[in-house]
Amino acid sequence: MDIHEFKGKVFAAGAAAGLQEMEIYFSQSKNFSTRIFQKEVDGYSVSMEQGVGFRARFGGKVGYSYVETLDQESIQLLVEGAKANAQIIDSDDEIEFFSGSAAYPNVAAYNAKLETLPAEEKIEFAKALESEAFASDARVSMVNWAATGYNETKVYIANTKGLEQSFRRNGAYGLVSAVVREGEQVKTSARMVFSNDWEAFDAKKMAGEAVEEATSLLGASSVPSGDYSVLLRHDVAHDLLSTFVSVFSAEAVQKGLSLLAGKLGEQVASSIVTLIDDPLLENGGASASFDGEGVATRTKTVIENGKLKTFLHNLKTAKKDGVESTGNASRASFKAPVGISPTNFFIQPGELSYEDMIKRMGDGLIIIDVQGLHSGANPVSGDFSLGAYGYLVEKGQIVRPVEQITVAGNFFTLLETVEEIGSDLKFGRPSPGGYVGSPTLLVRHLSVAGM
Amino acid sequence: MIAALSTGGDFAEIFMEDTRGTTLRMLNGSLEEGVSGRDYGVGIRIFQGYRSVYAYTNDASKENLLKVALEAAAALEGTPGLTDIVLNRLVVETFNPIRLEPSSVLHTDKVAVMKRAHGAATGYDQAITQVAITYLDTDQNVLIANSDGLLVEDRRVRTRLGINAVASKGNEKQSAFRGPGAHMGFELFDHIDVEAVARDAARSAVTMVNADYAPSGKYPVIIDNAFGGVIFHEACGHGLEATSVAKGASVFSGKLGQQVASPLVTAVDDGTIPNAWGSQNVDDEGTKTRRNVLIENGILKGYMIDKLNARRMAMEPTGSSRRQSYKYAPTSRMTNTFICAGDSTKEEIIGNTEYALYARHMGGGSVNPATGEFNFAVSEGYIVRNGKIEKPVRGGTLIGQGSQILQKIDMVASNLATGQGMCGSLSGSIPTDVGQPTIRVSEITVGGRKGDN
Repeated sequence: MDIHEFKGKVFAAGAAAGLQEMEIYFSQSKNFSTRIFQKEVDGYSVSMEQGVGFRARFGGKVGYSYVETLDQESIQLLVEGAKANAQIIDSDDEIEFFSGSAAYPNVAAYNAKLETLPAEEKIEFAKALESEAFASDARVSMVNWAATGYNETKVYIANTKGLEQSFRRNGAYGLVSAVVREGEQVKTSARMVFSNDWEAFDAKKMAGEAVEEATSLLGASSVPSGDYSVLLRHDVAHDLLSTFVSVFSAEAVQKGLSLLAGKLGEQVASSIVTLIDDPLLENGGASASFDGEGVATRTKTVIENGKLKTFLHNLKTAKKDGVESTGNASRASFKAPVGISPTNFFIQPGELSYEDMIKRMGDGLIIIDVQGLHSGANPVSGDFSLGAYGYLVEKGQIVRPVEQITVAGNFFTLLETVEEIGSDLKFGRPSPGGYVGSPTLLVRHLSVAGM
Repeated sequence: MIAALSTGGDFAEIFMEDTRGTTLRMLNGSLEEGVSGRDYGVGIRIFQGYRSVYAYTNDASKENLLKVALEAAAALEGTPGLTDIVLNRLVVETFNPIRLEPSSVLHTDKVAVMKRAHGAATGYDQAITQVAITYLDTDQNVLIANSDGLLVEDRRVRTRLGINAVASKGNEKQSAFRGPGAHMGFELFDHIDVEAVARDAARSAVTMVNADYAPSGKYPVIIDNAFGGVIFHEACGHGLEATSVAKGASVFSGKLGQQVASPLVTAVDDGTIPNAWGSQNVDDEGTKTRRNVLIENGILKGYMIDKLNARRMAMEPTGSSRRQSYKYAPTSRMTNTFICAGDSTKEEIIGNTEYALYARHMGGGSVNPATGEFNFAVSEGYIVRNGKIEKPVRGGTLIGQGSQILQKIDMVASNLATGQGMCGSLSGSIPTDVGQPTIRVSEITVGGRKGDN
């Protein structure tokens, strides 16, 4: 049955079972991906998937359930599951089912042209990624990733308080990873592009950059342990920001899991740092007109010239703090309960180009990749200690590649000590945790372990 | 499958899944979230030589499955293969018996276990300011059929308790996680001492909040047993998966029969350990799981191989093909992977060490299989000096190259134990056991915050 009929039946069955308020969150997506290896289609995947998340109030508490098929059996599973789960909740959090915002913004996130792009063209693009990589340097021994993909998602939310909203987005990606070899030395580098504008995909540029970077790392060695000035290249900077993004969540703050607690209005970052959450960004990876609770989204400045202006809220945390929801309720998927996450979340770019940033640093290290963010970073303390590689810079010039080092520091200290911000704002990959971006950052005194 | 093979495919496979699951979350003793649900869908895979096509859907009606099969087949070109397939049911005797099915256990009993864990962790020390407990169970029923005539069903019931304890001191916070789990039902809690595990998480967090930063540099590291095995999982295990070996993308490609590790190292991936977290009766291609010796006395003996990469490598599949769900095409992955017991004791290792980082508990890690470069976090560390544990240290990260670290293992204890983790890779996030006895590595680069030893 279709989702509207299904919703009607679920709400009717729920009412009969004594559920007081109910909400469904439906998502439906179409995916395509292909991977090329040695000029052949090595992987090819197509899918249609859907799921319904259900939450309901029973006896004052809210329980969750989900299904992936819209049939009679699923109706019972949803109603009984949510009811059973509501009965064991003993948290006193007040959860509101939202009746809807007065108005919703118009947000561009869907490109009809991309939807009709033939599979052949995407396959050709992935083939071009591979061939361009091989063509750009004789030391390329393998292209271990040459892939493209497409995703289209429709989200629909409706509840028994009259809320009913839907939103559609699509996007494509291209990924190339080149392996270069010189003697016994092996280096890899990858480039990934996300966009819903097919014009943004340039196989030659992506492959060329990946190969150039991989070859530039040949001959790398470690550096003596010590304190270094460090340029965190835009991609490393947004990965770090993304790892620590939960510290801006009001939920983390209220639960005592963010060291930013109690610091609203205070200077928490260097005065050149401005951090923005902009769900209205045209074709941003996390652009949307409403959030996971149906609240209209809006643009916020989270840090303005170093001062902390707001946390990210959903209805529950906003009520606790006596403020308005910032429209940052998130559903990591239809299976997941309401949480909080940023949308298009980025550090505002500065004036200096990447090259000028290198000159400004003088002596130090450029970090172009870090490993172990999921294990070597602690969002509660802000501490991180990560495997890294990049280049050694002396007198404003790159002198050689660097590997087998770790960089360690603290995210909060890093925010406070950002000395310069580049103009090269770049975003990471869109995820349910937000679309996070940063320009290259110059920081002093990071602890580096090497030889 | 006949529709899937209509355009020249030479192998077709159907993977049907019906999974029920429950996740409960408790924060500071209060049950905050309860979610239960059902995952249901079908994945269709087609091979043509080395090519593979995958399609999946939630709609298992005959018309839709035929439509999806033809849509997938459209990616290939050729003449129809088989026109008739005779399926022979493979009956698998389970070695993972389930005594207390999650669906037969009251929610309130699940919550009671969580409360016990919460109470034990909170009561450990006043420095514990927050305890988050997660309970989860899944009951996955799969049916796998392929054009070779295989038809097999399997059931995987898994239960896990996650305990995250946060200790505070002034403005500082440190957290520690323990997550015991098994291919079992609710009887898991007859096998583990919930309070002891919770207290251990609390002890670790309190120890770390009072610890100084680990010194940076290159020096010996003693890695404790159980979850310490994550070093082998990252530094070596991923590089032995056919996913990277078959294409020559692994540092271990083409090295069968060669010395790749210290002679003290024997390592195994064994999907047949009864009720272990990473065990399955059959893999997600329907091949019976088995005990695969990867390295024996330092010599590379085997890889973990799935059907597709088996073609490329001209080797047999090893029962190692896994996937998170029908939403992923399966590929070679680990099950329960561990370094086997050696002859030393942990006490001997520590007693014989002049200076080292003793990694009592590890966090997670990752690896680049092409270069073998790995990294992982030490979540509970100590400095060993002159044969004695001197003081706790935090914030250490170990980096290195897998093949080099394996050669540098110079002591292996006999206290083999395993720990549970979730491993994320191409075919999604899957439950895997890691394991080892206490080992000593003569030298690893340790990233910390202090310049000298």
